[in-house]
Parts: sequence; structure tokens; C-alpha cells
Amino acid sequence: MNILMQELKMGRKSLIVWCASLVGTFTIFMMLYPFISEQAATFTKVFESFPPEFRKAFGLTTTNLGEVLGYYSFAFLYIILAGAVQAMNLGVSILSAEVREKTGDFLFVKPVKRTKIITLKIAAVLIELGIINVVICLANLIIINLVSKDAFDMKLYMLLTGTLLFIQLFFASLGLAVSVFLRRIRTVLPISMGVVFLFYIIFLLNQTLEDPKLAWISPFGYFDLAYVSEHVAYQGKFIAAWFVLSAIFIFFTYKLFTKKDLPSI
Amino acid sequence: MNIIEINQLTKYYGKHRGIENVSFSVEEGEIFGFIGPNGAGKSTTIRTLLSLIYPTSGTATIFGKDCIKHGDEIRKEIGYLPSEVFYYENMKVIDVLKYSASFYENVDMSRIESLSKAMDLDLNKKIEDLSYGNKKKVGIVQGLLHEPKLIILDEPTSGLDPLMQQKFFDLILAENKKGATVLFSSHILTEVQKLCSRVAIIKEGQIIKVENINDMRNSSYKKIIVESQEDSIEKLFGFEGITNLTKTAEGVNFLFKGDINTIIEVLHKVKLQNILIEEPTLEEIFMHYYQKEA
Repeated sequence: MNILMQELKMGRKSLIVWCASLVGTFTIFMMLYPFISEQAATFTKVFESFPPEFRKAFGLTTTNLGEVLGYYSFAFLYIILAGAVQAMNLGVSILSAEVREKTGDFLFVKPVKRTKIITLKIAAVLIELGIINVVICLANLIIINLVSKDAFDMKLYMLLTGTLLFIQLFFASLGLAVSVFLRRIRTVLPISMGVVFLFYIIFLLNQTLEDPKLAWISPFGYFDLAYVSEHVAYQGKFIAAWFVLSAIFIFFTYKLFTKKDLPSI
Repeated sequence: MNIIEINQLTKYYGKHRGIENVSFSVEEGEIFGFIGPNGAGKSTTIRTLLSLIYPTSGTATIFGKDCIKHGDEIRKEIGYLPSEVFYYENMKVIDVLKYSASFYENVDMSRIESLSKAMDLDLNKKIEDLSYGNKKKVGIVQGLLHEPKLIILDEPTSGLDPLMQQKFFDLILAENKKGATVLFSSHILTEVQKLCSRVAIIKEGQIIKVENINDMRNSSYKKIIVESQEDSIEKLFGFEGITNLTKTAEGVNFLFKGDINTIIEVLHKVKLQNILIEEPTLEEIFMHYYQKEA
């Protein structure tokens, strides 16, 4: 338990900053909504003049910017991207920080099994992701209600917002697996930015290619906001893929880290 | 009873040698020195004992339990001070110590106060504001806080001024009197000489000798300095028992172990300017182990 409290205490500041900046970014996006919805017809016309590949890439095909959830799914994509980076950061750094900050000689000589340390650290990641998702879900709801008086489908809102949690969990577990695989990680952000954007670009590419095989590669495609908006549901096969992959990453983390040599200082 | 038993322990980092077939044991209640030059494998051995790294082959037991299988149980009774200490930069000293204590059962929290007083450590400073020596003090308090039965020190004195080193040795001796066993790794002989009863000497990943430190010193090693003008005098001393033979401008000097009469027999044929026969320092004995065979 002490390890969990320690992790949460150490992650507190960064968590607050991430929450604040994600909510802030989202607020700015939504402040534009009244203006855009008023002239939705004009905007739609402008977008229609763009090449279809471009529109697909930005998720503007099925999106109706005149409706609040239509606009929401457009704006929320950027929150998901940033959230993916944050989650991957967490995943990569939570174990590797002990090596990077050279505190491993403190923690790992304590009378605790490595598996327990991994479990408590993963628990800390889950709690932090839980907090950020609750904060965003509530904050977004308030903001939407502030900028729009129109009624909207609550179920669709929850499904759209829920994609953030799924994608964050995916990237956090991927981050964990990456961090135990690499011998020593000097900086975390380039790794997480690189991986997240790589997956995002694959997703964008596939928006135009529409290759059913490529769709399995990127988690962004698993929780495609356009699909969710259209069907008010997730795709079962992709939920299964998400679950299997995340489980594999976590398994891999335990498997490798319990036998890993901690490099000496 | 043996507290530590190391048996044919081998560790390779990929193709790089860490240690090869290291075997020695540390008895209950002793202060055991572990001596060797940098890169000889001292830290590798210690990190294996703490299961920070996993051996390629061989076994090690502490308190009779396997180091790897029962690592977490064993570590309840171990206090470890690494050569370089790092703690969570944002925390206050007192919080690090409390965090450390929270891993052990029945820690006497008043020891935080008394140990840091002994080491002259400010508890309310942040780790990031501490100098290297002060961080080391945190390490010492942290390592001794839970009154471990086995104290493992890996080149512990670097960064401590002589006064603090002395206070640190006093603390270690006090713990030892109370029954703690100590494994003390160092490349500085004099400090080992001060504290330890036995030493293992490691060189290039292999234990070359385990010896009682007093025996070593009181062994028949003599340092002999011969001053003479005779030509090629060093050739006279090519027999067994002679080590570290060096020729100087005045004559020759060497270490000798064996029957002193064999030396006298040679010497009485030589015209001498001067002769000195003295106890060698441990440093000189060790140089003989350290020097790489050509």
C-alpha cells in the first residue's frame, strides 16, 4: 500500500497539470461551437469542397458540426490524442523511473516481491487514469451544457467519452511493456509521442485506404468516433482485440520485469 | 553459523564477465571485508545477493535461504548502503526515512532521530538540496534504521569526510556489537583493516583469497630492503617465497614469506651498505594480489 500512496503522491502534480490542460484545450474548442453551429451550413459547404480523403482523415464525413455531439466528436479526437500520450507516458515511466532516477537500489532492496511492486504501480496508473477520465467526463458535460442548450443523447455522449478510457488503457499497458523491454530509458516523452502518432497516422491512412486488415493495427481505429456516432455502439471484435492486446502487454510486463537485471549506477 | 553462503556464483552480462565461480561464506557476527580493485566484481556479487540482478549460474543463500527464491523475506533483515545513493528528489529527508521504515515491521521510529543526530543530518531538507555527502548520510540512516541482522556496505565511505567516516564506523561497530553481521566491500584497504576480521580478495571476477586479516599481517611476510653496490644483486633473490621484487638505485627490495634463514644465507655472502627488515603494510601485501599477471 505504501508504494501505491507514494506513486500517487509523486504523480499528483503531473496529473493535475494534464487534467487542467486537457479540460482547458477542450474548453477553447467548445467556445467556438456557438459560432460554428450558427454557420454550420456554410462550414459544411466549405468542408465539402475539400477532397474526400482530407475530410475522412479529420473525421468530417459523417460529422454534423451543427449538432453539439457532432462537433464534440470532432473536438474530442484531439483530447484522445493528448490523452493517449499522457497514458503512454505514465506506462513507460512508472517502472523505468526507478532506473532512470537511480532510486531502484532503494526500492528493490526492500522486502517486497517484484511482482507486488509491479502490481501496485499498475494500480497507481489505473487510479490516475480513472481520475483523469472522471474529471474529463464531468468537465466536458458541464462545458457542453454551458455552450449549448440543445438536448443530446446521453448514451452517445458516454460512449464517445468512454473511448478515451479504452485508448488510454491500451497505451498505458503498451507503455509498460515497452519500458520493461528496453534496457534503459533516458527520456520518456519522445517514445510516447512517437508511438502514439505512429498509430494515429496508421489510423488516418486507413481512413482513406479502408483496408480491413490495417484496421486491426491501430487502437484509434478500434474506437473510431465516426463509427460510434453513427451506430451508438462499439465494435465487439475490436473490443476483443483491445482486451487481448492489453492483457498480452501486461503479461509481458510481469514476465520480463520479474527477471530483469537492474543496471547498476 | 554462516549468514551468507555463496557457492560457485557466476554472472555474465551478455558476453561480459561479471563474476566467475565466486564462493565464500560470512559467519554470524563478523565484519567481513570484500576487497578488490574497481571492476573486479564486488558490486556484481552484492547486487546478486540482493537479487537486483540474477546469476547466470551458482547459488547464494542468506540466513540459510536462497537469495533469489526467498529474496523478499531475506531482505526484511538486510540493510544496504550502495556506493552511490539516490532518493526521490522531491521528498524531504524525513519522508524518505519514513517511507523506508514503512516497508519493515516494528521499526523503532526514535532511531530516525538518534541516527540522524549521530550523523549530523538535517531531517527537514529536501533530497534535491542535499550535497553528495549528506545524501550518503540519508543512506546510512536508511540502511540502519530497521536494525538489520545483516548490513551490506558497498564502498560506503566515498563522499564522507574523515570525521563522518569515523562516526559511521562507530555506528557500524555498535550495530555489530549488538549482533549484526557486516559485509563490507571496499577498494580502500585501511578502512577494511580498521573494521574487518576476515577478507575476501576478488580480482577480475574471481576470488583469489579469503584470509584472516590478522594472520595476513602477522604472517611471515617481511618487507626487506637491501642496499648494496654489487652488480645484478637482484639475481640472488630469484627463489621461492620472494614477491614484489624491485630493483632500486641503492639495491633491491622485496616481500618475503618463508624461512628467514634462507634469506640470511644469501645475504651473508653479499657486501651490504644497509639492510632493513620490517613488517609490510597491508597495502603492500595487497599490491601483490592486485598486480595483473603479465
